Amino acid sequence: MSRFSKSLLALALAGLAGSVSAFDNYKGLGRPATEAEIKAWDIDVRPDFKGLPKGAGSVDLGAEVFEARCASCHGSFGESNEVFTPLVGGTTQDDIKTGRVQSLRDGSAPQRTTLMKVATISTLFDYINRAMPWTEPKSLKPNEVYGILAYLLHLAEIVPADFELSDRNIAEVQKRMPNRNGMTTDHGMWPGKGLGNGGKPDVKNVACMRHCKKEVQLVSSLPDYAADAHGNLAEQNREVGQARGKVTGAKSEAKAAEPLSESARLSQLANTSGCMACHGVNGKIVGPGFNEVMAKYKGQAEAETQLAHKVKAGGAGVWGSVPMPPHPQLSDADAAALVKWILSGAPAK
Amino acid sequence: MANPMKIRAASKDGVTEVKVLMSHEMETGQRKDSSGNLVPAHFITELTATWNGKTVLEAQFGPAVSKNPYLAFKFKGGAKGDKVVVSWKDNKGDSRTDEAAIA
Repeated sequence: MSRFSKSLLALALAGLAGSVSAFDNYKGLGRPATEAEIKAWDIDVRPDFKGLPKGAGSVDLGAEVFEARCASCHGSFGESNEVFTPLVGGTTQDDIKTGRVQSLRDGSAPQRTTLMKVATISTLFDYINRAMPWTEPKSLKPNEVYGILAYLLHLAEIVPADFELSDRNIAEVQKRMPNRNGMTTDHGMWPGKGLGNGGKPDVKNVACMRHCKKEVQLVSSLPDYAADAHGNLAEQNREVGQARGKVTGAKSEAKAAEPLSESARLSQLANTSGCMACHGVNGKIVGPGFNEVMAKYKGQAEAETQLAHKVKAGGAGVWGSVPMPPHPQLSDADAAALVKWILSGAPAK
Repeated sequence: MANPMKIRAASKDGVTEVKVLMSHEMETGQRKDSSGNLVPAHFITELTATWNGKTVLEAQFGPAVSKNPYLAFKFKGGAKGDKVVVSWKDNKGDSRTDEAAIA
């Protein structure tokens, strides 16, 4: 478990003790975790060995347990390349001295083994203790984990054959880990050049230790014209969870509230009243296209009033057998305006 | 002198299983280094395993065997505490002999 989750737990516990009021809104829901529950959950071992259980295991004990529980996947010597890459191999006595694994740099090992890569012995202990064996995680006793770890370290020639690893000498062994100085954070998520940004860190946020600014100063922001490029961001985020979209696009909404130009209003009206379902702007769909209507009635003085009446009352026969349904919901003024708009050829614009 | 082999031998139902992990470069002689020169061949040619002085396995290795070879085999017989001795020779005349007690 990471340091992060542990501090989260501490925070949660502090919250429990400090502010009971936080639970007042949820009476009868949940209960504080018991000490035993937390103990069962809080099993992580940190690089400074905080959380390391007391115990000891010899190489011989480890060899026995490894053969019984681990060897079927990892091979008797941790050499198996069948399930995952080998656990052991690729490290030399020189690496143990320098703390940097040479074969990682020159690529002389066929593949990266666990002991080539891992920098902290606590990681190995934690992982074996937490996740192994694959089929029965957390079934190993602390002494067995110490033993398995001692056996692996012996295979890598980090400790002698008669070594007994324990919570007292594990810090000494850490000083012999082949890649103890090999851990870096100064690289991208994809370290190589093929993917990503060529191995540069994705972010570089160095904590300020002195002469720090006291206030946050905004030095740049999105220009107004770009702020609503994607609509109102606040509406595009879920209402639950931590992420909240900034309210953007307020200005354009204000514009939308302003009265539309007459032709835009009529175009919208034609859409909402259902005209566009049957009439195309430039051709027949079910009824005649607006351009055909315009051509037919062009120059006829009474056409406007006749057609306005027809829009409201419905009609049939002029353009074929399909009748035009009545539209009584339109006001007289709107019907007249629509007809005028159609006959003036506006829809095509 | 090459690094020691790792040997485990376990007897069960009258059959002994021996597992050996050798530490050897096993260069094929076909590879070129970064400056384009051939890397000279260096591989194990002969391997012998004995149990209480009796030969139980003889093998001839070649350049097709991988680096740091792993070998497992079984033979009939063997009791707890008996000695299994494995030795190899390579094409440069180097050799190595290691032993383990049957568990």
